[in-house]
Amino acid sequence: MKIKAVRRPETPEQARDWARELGEQALYVAGGTGLHFMTDPAEMVAIPLDRIGLRGVECSGRHYRIGALTPLADVMNYRAERWAFHETGRRTATHQIRNISTVGGNICRVFPWCDLPVALLALEATMVLLGDDGYAVPADDYFASQPARRLANGDLLLAVDVPVLEAHMGFGYRKEVICHSGFSLMTVAARLRLEGDRIRDARVAAGAALPFPARLKQVEALLADQPATPDTFARAATEGVREVAWKGREDWSDAYAAHAAAIAVRDALDRALTFARRRDW
Amino acid sequence: MKAERDFQVVNHSVRKVDAWQLATGYPSYTADLAPAGCLHVKMLWSPHAHARLRSVDIAAAERMPGVRCVLYHGNVPRHPYTTAGEGFPEPSPYDQFVFDRKVRFVGDRVAAVAAETPAQAEAALAAIRVDYEVLEPVLSLEAALAPGAPVIHDEPDAYLPIPMPYCPQENIVARVGMEDVGDFADGLARADVRLDQTFETQYVQHAPMETYVAWAALDGRNRIQITTSTQVPFHCRRLVAQALGLSVGQIRVIKPRIGGGFGSKQEVLLEDLVALFALRTRRPVLWELSRAETFTSGRTRHPIRVRVRAGVTRAGALTALGLDCTANTGAYGGHGIPVVMCCGSKVLPLYRAETVHFAGQIVYTNLPVAGAYRGFGATQAYFGTEQVMDQLAEGVGLDPLEFRLRNHIRSGETSPVFAALGEGKEGVPMTIGSCALEACLRQGAAAIGWDRRRPHTEKTGRLRRGLGMAALMQGSSIPRIDMGAASIKINDDGSFNLLVGATDLGTGSDTVLAQIAAETLGVAVDKILVYSSDTDLTPFDVGAYASSTTYLSGMAVKKAAADARGQVLRVAAAMLAAPVEGLLLEGGVIRAAPDRSVTLAQVAHYALYERDQFQIIGTASHVTEKSPPPFAAHFVEIEVDTWTGAIRPLRYVAAVDCGTPINPKLAEGQTEGAVLNGISFALTEQYLFTPKGRLKNASLEDYHLWSLRDKPPIQAILVSSFEETGPYGAKSVSEISINGAAPAIGNALYNAVGVRLHQLPFTRERVWRALQSHAPE
Repeated sequence: MKIKAVRRPETPEQARDWARELGEQALYVAGGTGLHFMTDPAEMVAIPLDRIGLRGVECSGRHYRIGALTPLADVMNYRAERWAFHETGRRTATHQIRNISTVGGNICRVFPWCDLPVALLALEATMVLLGDDGYAVPADDYFASQPARRLANGDLLLAVDVPVLEAHMGFGYRKEVICHSGFSLMTVAARLRLEGDRIRDARVAAGAALPFPARLKQVEALLADQPATPDTFARAATEGVREVAWKGREDWSDAYAAHAAAIAVRDALDRALTFARRRDW
Repeated sequence: MKAERDFQVVNHSVRKVDAWQLATGYPSYTADLAPAGCLHVKMLWSPHAHARLRSVDIAAAERMPGVRCVLYHGNVPRHPYTTAGEGFPEPSPYDQFVFDRKVRFVGDRVAAVAAETPAQAEAALAAIRVDYEVLEPVLSLEAALAPGAPVIHDEPDAYLPIPMPYCPQENIVARVGMEDVGDFADGLARADVRLDQTFETQYVQHAPMETYVAWAALDGRNRIQITTSTQVPFHCRRLVAQALGLSVGQIRVIKPRIGGGFGSKQEVLLEDLVALFALRTRRPVLWELSRAETFTSGRTRHPIRVRVRAGVTRAGALTALGLDCTANTGAYGGHGIPVVMCCGSKVLPLYRAETVHFAGQIVYTNLPVAGAYRGFGATQAYFGTEQVMDQLAEGVGLDPLEFRLRNHIRSGETSPVFAALGEGKEGVPMTIGSCALEACLRQGAAAIGWDRRRPHTEKTGRLRRGLGMAALMQGSSIPRIDMGAASIKINDDGSFNLLVGATDLGTGSDTVLAQIAAETLGVAVDKILVYSSDTDLTPFDVGAYASSTTYLSGMAVKKAAADARGQVLRVAAAMLAAPVEGLLLEGGVIRAAPDRSVTLAQVAHYALYERDQFQIIGTASHVTEKSPPPFAAHFVEIEVDTWTGAIRPLRYVAAVDCGTPINPKLAEGQTEGAVLNGISFALTEQYLFTPKGRLKNASLEDYHLWSLRDKPPIQAILVSSFEETGPYGAKSVSEISINGAAPAIGNALYNAVGVRLHQLPFTRERVWRALQSHAPE
């Protein structure tokens, strides 16, 4: 693309208004991780969002609110009780990219291998947006289709609310890459809620080897109300991913991607279980 | 690490002579130095793997805004040449032209535009109309060698400039080999354990940080000045002259700092066109390949199929060792012959085998062009032979370390392979001088904890660890072919200008050569001002390849410095009225007695301004009579995830005998870098093609080159020896350590999980599938 002008808003509302005014020519510059793939030669007006705030992580008691312009490096470095999202930040790209790219930049235009959507689906996050007014969209809805289309009218992502992990909850995240700086070939995130030695419920999501990040509802169903044991995880991981159309990329065949999915689900569940038991307040 | 001799400058880790300019970002590289107002070149690359050009219409492109010149086969000279920067006559076919009427791989040259801006050049490419007659592509060794296969090089004017049959009608560049040493079949028959296995290596790319880049401009005398990121400035000058039908004297080649080469810039890929554009437009012209273009149209490592046959007695003696190598050279044949010959010459002599066999062939395909790449030939062959050595050891119940200690070549020994195999011709007989391989093996084994090694049958669980090793040798220059030269002159203040044709491509060779000069002249390194690689100003040197710079060019520098030193002492003797024999030159001062001395500055002043005036200047050339091998022992510990097939190197030890390390820190850097390069080669790097021969992963995102983020702890151990024929006992260090990772990891994989892979890279899917079919106990 070619940038023909730059407008620097002072508030989210001003950014939204300018984006609506400019229509298809508007381009938010906000730490996007997909710019590399935007090869459209059209002339655009850049709207850098560096003056509108929306940066930082705060805990409200029930959830952590992550400003849309929070760099991934800040997500990685943030530490608090019942917070697990830093694991995802740590595995995203490289230091240099984490310093520049933002949470919003990673989830406003979603590519199959994007890191955060998978975790946000599993964590049951909520996206806070600015349209005519503020409104909230659960992750399941937000990631049901390409968010960029939802935001095409100039709506602005303000924040992401990630629920605090309650007692007996655990989170696990797996990302398979060929080299550390490579895009994910398989991403799986899992959130378990235990009740004694049994799994009360689970949310499991996957990406990278799917056309779009998605919940693995069959896996979740196979886990619900089952004993939290390696055998349960193995069965859920093996049977629960069988019907999914896994897509291998680069040097992975589809068959291997399916195999890798089962292993990654199992590993993520193992990690979530360890997490849940460690947080058995 | 203890040196064999006490040196003042050599064997010390002095700061690189170019450290300041590189660390501060001072404009140092080719593109930094391009003049304002350069025209920019863009190339129309072939979208087809094999096609004839029925017509190329450039008329519309020529009329495009900003376009100053468009070149294609219809308006350029046609002289066959090779892009391989090698000594003359090159052991490579003259099978290329500036442009040809045929394209032979996806990414071959079709037409080029020089325009005021890159965007204008790019836009003009779209206006070039090409009518292709698409031909059946040849995309594998099998397809190339099949009876009736399409002939890739059917042009009548290609030829091989050395006395060796050229067989393009069979898609074969050449067949190479040597007469068997002893009765090879009998050697195999007598063995108690015999192996016959075939190994395959893949297409990989050097991926230097600085891509291919060159610019050219005419000077006031209408000569062409080419500034280029090249490893071979003098060969570049000769090849450009040949390709364009010019005389060498019309061309000056300057090499600034280079952002890495690893062999890729031993090829002359851009310089002919920037020179031709400069001649046609009389404007400076810059051409810089993108990363994608570097992957697609640059040079690669030859994929080679290596059949290893070997036999061993129960007592652990090798009765036979043989290699049959078939190399895929891609669309053009540059470097193919020496690469395949190095499969034999750099590998077979490592072990004392009673009988030896070697044969090879270099095959054309319609895939990317292979060329020189650090370790060439040896990298591919060691992958197989060192895995076979482990299997032979296991077959006769010996520890792999013990097996190698029993069988490796030692000081004072020779191998008939040295005389039989050179690079493009027969080799040179050689007796091993320095060899500290035994020490490398023992020190490396101790460092990795080899005595912890247990057989794979004792290992259980999902994650299993394995230890593996490989022994290696390389060479130091090409004997009786390579030549380096140097000159060194004194300045008024006692500093020296050292002029060398040798080419520092980021390795630190300017620093190493300065250290050698400083040691000889008894001064500190900062008194040596190095200027390298300018064909108008510096003496000839073949360039940076074949692990030659320290050993070959270093000896030329040592001789030139000794010449200058002799002149210094003669002047000092006159000044001090003392005999030359009694003078001591040290620390920039020449002493006849404790109270009678002159400084180098005084000597320079005396010679330049006072009496019997002359320029103190030493010059020397050096040709080697042997190629003393550096030796190495590599050890790796890995962890294998048996569920996924993922291999994780946990620790790597590389013990290297490079003679005297002239600059230990740089030698360690070379070793660590080469090891990381080798691990990446072993585990992740590969070219992936579509069924029509188009490269699918032409970017650093998709190619998966290991970086420091992936690096396991690497311990480089410099095991000192003293090579009498090298400068201050030095041999080479730059190439050898890329060759160990693939076989060492292969052996470690077997030690961990009991499977062996014969094809690189060891991707996790490949390992997983091997585990599935093997079902180790």
